Amino acid sequence: MDLLTTSVATGDSDGGPYTLVVLAGEADVTNSGALRELLDAEVAKEPRTLVIDLSELRFMDSSALHVVLRANRTMDRQGGVLALAGPRDPVAKMLRLTAADQLLPVYASVAEATAE
Amino acid sequence: MESEHAAPSRVPPRHRPSLPPPSGDATSLSYRTDLSKVRALVLQQGLAAGLAEERATDLVLAVSEVAANTLRHTQSAGLLTIWSAAGEVVCEVQDEGVITDPEAGQRKPGPDADGGHGLWLVYQVCDLVEVRSDETGTTIRMHMAIPPSLVRIGASA
Repeated sequence: MDLLTTSVATGDSDGGPYTLVVLAGEADVTNSGALRELLDAEVAKEPRTLVIDLSELRFMDSSALHVVLRANRTMDRQGGVLALAGPRDPVAKMLRLTAADQLLPVYASVAEATAE
Repeated sequence: MESEHAAPSRVPPRHRPSLPPPSGDATSLSYRTDLSKVRALVLQQGLAAGLAEERATDLVLAVSEVAANTLRHTQSAGLLTIWSAAGEVVCEVQDEGVITDPEAGQRKPGPDADGGHGLWLVYQVCDLVEVRSDETGTTIRMHMAIPPSLVRIGASA
């Protein structure tokens, strides 16, 4: 069984089209390379909005955070927005402690993230 | 990049006094690839020792960050040792990595920094962090205080 499972979908909401990446399980240094490849590929498609659903993520370490922050910088340069949705503790706490939650928008749910 | 030139205000890891041996019954786990097992053991032992869930998951994050450095910076296995004694749980991680910066992890990295969040998190969530490092390797001890049992306080009153 994989430690981290991922899925990608595209959707359309009142806020316009978006790409949704769902992460489930545990994201750490052992799978941050694969996560980076996945996010790089989606960011390269230049979506206007990229939402990462963290609601099923039980653990995230700083390696995974750096991959997300890197994707956020590229999205910024492309004029898009990367948003996080549904983080629960301990992931939510880790985002607070690193102040990553000040750097990119964090929503309670995917619905909220895609509403605007 | 964080400046490496800030005046060190603390004793370098290699010149600190040696750590006392683990006390009580200790549990050990060698790791090289699977940090999920490391985290599971820390959670189980932390909860069994009496940590509240949030404190136990804080300890899990700290140990996982230190163990991730073993995978990133060394070619060999790391060793996790856990014990509880004197009102605290202690997790010790030993590996062949070398830490030369006496203040590693004690300066807050910028939120968008490409590194440095790992040890910073360790210092944020643990009650006490002890670092010893020389050319043979690094030992990091992470301490979490166990809250006094309300039952025991009631019984002794």
